[in-house]
Amino acid sequence: MAAVATRGTSSNYLQRAPSPSGLAEVVDVILDKGLVLDAYVRVSVIGIEVLTIDARIVIASVDTYLRFAEAVNRLDLTQTETAGLAELRDGGKKQEAKGAAEGVKEKVGREHDSDDDDDDEERSSR
Amino acid sequence: MTAYVYGVVAAGADVPGVTGVGSAEVRLVAHDALAGLVSSVDADGLRVRRRDLRAHLTVLERAFARTTVAPCRFGTVFEDDEAVRQELLAPRASELAALLVRLEGRVQLALSVDHDEETLLRGVVAGDGEIAHLREATRDAGADAHAARVRLGELVASAVEARRRSDAEQVLAALAPVVETVDADETPWGHVLKASLLVPADVVPEVERRLEQLGAEAGGRLRFELVGPLPPTAFAELVDEEAAAWA
Repeated sequence: MAAVATRGTSSNYLQRAPSPSGLAEVVDVILDKGLVLDAYVRVSVIGIEVLTIDARIVIASVDTYLRFAEAVNRLDLTQTETAGLAELRDGGKKQEAKGAAEGVKEKVGREHDSDDDDDDEERSSR
Repeated sequence: MTAYVYGVVAAGADVPGVTGVGSAEVRLVAHDALAGLVSSVDADGLRVRRRDLRAHLTVLERAFARTTVAPCRFGTVFEDDEAVRQELLAPRASELAALLVRLEGRVQLALSVDHDEETLLRGVVAGDGEIAHLREATRDAGADAHAARVRLGELVASAVEARRRSDAEQVLAALAPVVETVDADETPWGHVLKASLLVPADVVPEVERRLEQLGAEAGGRLRFELVGPLPPTAFAELVDEEAAAWA
């Protein structure tokens, strides 16, 4: 069900959705969660692994430090509205800032989330 | 015909009016008081598509809207309908029945908490003299300030991590009185918290209220995303009652 009514709340700090919208979120809910039974065969789902690559591989490194340094350097503390960080925010595609700590998982998830029109992305099992 | 199992419900439950994995019809395979939500898949030519992931969740969501459901993981299959009865429903009957009782009237909420980076960094700079000083010193400096920049970034990264930890703790503490069970996922780098919450269905508005309050108190530093009510996929765990009794 792709149609998801996202509604803001009075405070705007909380985003609500009744159901996962992106494929990565769907995977979060069903892939490693649910009854684990000893007497069953798991379908091997080739290609799903890439969606669950953990963002842990983005480790704190000098590169990350430098991006943080750049981010605070760009802060204009005299103004409440600043545009300096905007370019760190994943092109402004998502409403909340991922900034210097953009996760691999989200990138991967979004790239693969080309809706259900997936005939060219079929994976066979076994 | 291989039987794909979405979850377990009480026998006699409504069959959700949707197609499942591989666009197959969903039906009930019942044994005594329990039934598996099942559809047929061709074991020899099973091709899993992305839409099948959604279909799995949709079947669970539809069933969940009508009755209590104990979700199975994606990709759970048995040899045939008889195997669903003989290998799942019959031998695990008491555990499954107990699980359905535990999950009755409960819903799962997927919570994800993030920092608004700009608000976060403003707070970090304002709250640490050395960071503020290094920021000024490196701001308009050239390439020779590399070491100072690395030091600045290191301090900021560590302040951000400390903030992440304390914010995550604060969120969990604020929710603890109203949430029955928390299943915290490993927090992806750069996020504050990711967790599944199990709550009585009528408590959902209270969870929303508390998150909004936390957001207001944090002055825009925290952003919450709450998805649900979802079927309780993170809380479908069988407890071997005999083993538990001996423990």
